Amino acid sequence: MYEINASKELKHIMKNYFSDLKNNSKPVAWCTSVGPAELLRSFGFEVYFPENHGALLGATRKAMDTIPLASKIGYPSDICSYLTADIGSHIQKSTPLLKHYGLESPPRPDLIVYNTNQCREVQDWFSYFGNQFNCPVSGIVPPRHLDVVKQADIDNVSSQFKALIPECERISKNKFDIDKFRHSLRLSKEATFLWKKVLETSKNSPAPISFFDATIHMGPIVVLRGTETALDYYKILLSELEKNVVSKTGFLKKESSRIYWEGMPIWGRLRFLSELFAQHNSAVVASTYCNSWIFDDFDERNPFESSALAYTTIFINRSEKAKLITLKNLIKDFRIDGVIFHEAKTCFNNSNSRFGMPGKLKDETGVETLIIEGDLCDLRFFSEEQSTIKIETLLEQISSS
Amino acid sequence: MHFLGVDIGSLYTKLLIIDYDFKVLYSDIFKTLARNNKRDDILSKLIKEYIIDYSCSTGYGRKLMKSADIVKTELYCASAGVTQLAPFEKTIIDIGGEDIKLLKSAANAKVIDFYMNSKCAAGTGAFITEVAERAELDVADMSRLAANSKSIKELNSFCTVFAKTEIMKWIFDDTSDEDLAKGIYISIANRIQKIPADNSLPVFLIGGVAHYHPYLKDILEEKFNIKVTIPENPQLINAFGAACIARNSFVNK
Repeated sequence: MYEINASKELKHIMKNYFSDLKNNSKPVAWCTSVGPAELLRSFGFEVYFPENHGALLGATRKAMDTIPLASKIGYPSDICSYLTADIGSHIQKSTPLLKHYGLESPPRPDLIVYNTNQCREVQDWFSYFGNQFNCPVSGIVPPRHLDVVKQADIDNVSSQFKALIPECERISKNKFDIDKFRHSLRLSKEATFLWKKVLETSKNSPAPISFFDATIHMGPIVVLRGTETALDYYKILLSELEKNVVSKTGFLKKESSRIYWEGMPIWGRLRFLSELFAQHNSAVVASTYCNSWIFDDFDERNPFESSALAYTTIFINRSEKAKLITLKNLIKDFRIDGVIFHEAKTCFNNSNSRFGMPGKLKDETGVETLIIEGDLCDLRFFSEEQSTIKIETLLEQISSS
Repeated sequence: MHFLGVDIGSLYTKLLIIDYDFKVLYSDIFKTLARNNKRDDILSKLIKEYIIDYSCSTGYGRKLMKSADIVKTELYCASAGVTQLAPFEKTIIDIGGEDIKLLKSAANAKVIDFYMNSKCAAGTGAFITEVAERAELDVADMSRLAANSKSIKELNSFCTVFAKTEIMKWIFDDTSDEDLAKGIYISIANRIQKIPADNSLPVFLIGGVAHYHPYLKDILEEKFNIKVTIPENPQLINAFGAACIARNSFVNK
C-alpha cells in the first residue's frame, strides 16, 4: 500500500505546534488562514487559526454535535459550518484538540485578526470570540471579486496592514521591526514555493500525492507559514515525492483518469471519497483548495505591498473571469480529464458552480464537469449514494470519450 | 447468445434478457426489498435456464449482484437503452422512486451531460405516493383524473411534507379529485423545468413514474411545448440498456 513516509514527521510537527500554543508564555493571535500571519509573527505572536479547528471538527465529525449548539444562539446551520462548528465547540467546551494534541480548548487569544479576502463570515465569526474573550478584533477588508488587482487596491490593502501595527505593538509589547517582518515573509515565500513544487509533482503520472493526502500535508503551510519548521518540512516531503516520481511510484499504480477537485474538501468523507475514486483507478491530482496557499507574490523587499498583493490575488477573492483563467491553466498543466465542483451548501464564497462555471469550463476545455452537493463540515448536506452515482457516471463519461 | 440486464432500483428490481439481435426474450419486475432473497433465486434460475453469456447490473443496488460481469450506473444504462430504440441525440428524463435524472444522450449512447437530484426527492415517485395518499387519491387512477381537469392550479412547495400540508388546504377548499391530481403533476413538471436542458432535442420519458403516470407526458408537452415520447415498457428501459451494454461489451471483447 502506498504511503507517504513524511506523514510521521508531519504528525510530530503538528503536535509540537499545538504544544507550543499550550505551553508557551508568548501572546497569542488568532488569524484567518489566508490572513496576515507573517506580520503577526514578526511581533512574536504565536498564531492560531480557527479554520484549522473548523477542519478538525469536520474531519472528526464532531461538527455534527456542535453545529446545532451554535444554531440555538442565532447562528443557523445554513451559514458557514466552520463558524457554526467552532462556536458550537466553544459553547460545548469540548474540542478534538484534546484527543489529538492534548489541548483542552483553543488557546485564549490576546488579539484576533481577520481578512475578509475569503468571505465576510470570518468577521462575524471572529467578532463572536472577541466578545467571548473580551479581546480586541482587527480586520483587513480588501476589495473583493477582482478581475485584476490594481495599484490602488494594493495601496488600500497595504495601508490596512500598516494600520494593524499600533495594536500589534500594544498587545505584544514589541516595537514593529521591519526586518523581522521581512524575515517571516521570506520564510513564508520559500515554504509556499516548496508547497507549490510538492503539488506540482502530481503533474506526473502516476501522481505521488493525491488531493486527499494534500489536504493533510497542507497543515504546516496553513498554521506554520513564516517559520523555519514549515520550510524544513516541505523540503523533506518534496524530496520524498520527487524520488517517487523518478521511480514511478504513485498513489495509484494505474491512472485511468485524472480529476481536479474544485471547492472545499468534505472533511468528514475524505476517506470515503478517496477510496471511491481509487476503486475506479481515478486519480484526484489537483485542487483549487490546496493551491490556495501558494503566494508567489511575497517579496521581502516590499513586505507590505507584496503581502497586500499576495493576499488580495488569491483565487477566492477573484472574479468569475479570473477564476476561469486559473482553472483552465491548472486543467492544462495537470492534464485533467474531469472536474468535480463541490457545491458546499454553507460556503457560498468557495463554491464556484453557481454562476455557470462548470458549463463554461467544459465548453472551453473539453473536460467533463460535475457538481456534487455537500459541505465542508455538515454531513447532513451530503448524500453518499447519490454522490456516488454522479461520480461514477462522470468516470463513465470520461472512459467512453 | 443471451445477455442479462439487471436494474436493482430503490423500489423495484427489473430483469431482462435479450439475444444477439437485441430481441427481448424475458423480463420480470418485482419489489426490491433488501431483506428478501427472491432476487438471487430468480437470477440463479435464469442464468441456468438461459445460459447467460454476459450480464450487467445497474440501479441503486447495482453492486449487490455479485455475479454481474459489468456494473454500470443507471444513467449510462438509460442512455444505452433509449439509444437502441432511438439512435440520435436526445434528452432522457428518468423519474424513479426516489430520484429524477435528466440526461443529454448522444447518438452513440454517450452521456453528454446529466443532472440528478441529490438533496431533495420532490418530483419523484415517492413524492407522488406521499401527496396522493394525503389527497386520498388512488395513484393508479391519477392520470385518468388529471386528464379530465382544466385547472392550472399548482402546488408551490417542493418539500414533500409541506406539499402535503398544501394539498390539505386544497381539500378544505373543496378542490375536485381531477384538479388535485393535475396539480400534483404540474408540480412535478415545475420541478423538471428547473433542470437545465436542451429543449431543441426530442424528449424521452422513462422510469416507473412514466409507466404508472402517463399523463405526465401531456403535462410536459403542454408546459414546455415539446414532443415527449414514452417508450414501450418505460420501467424496463434501464434493464434493457444494461442488457445492451452486456451484449455490446461481450461482442467487442
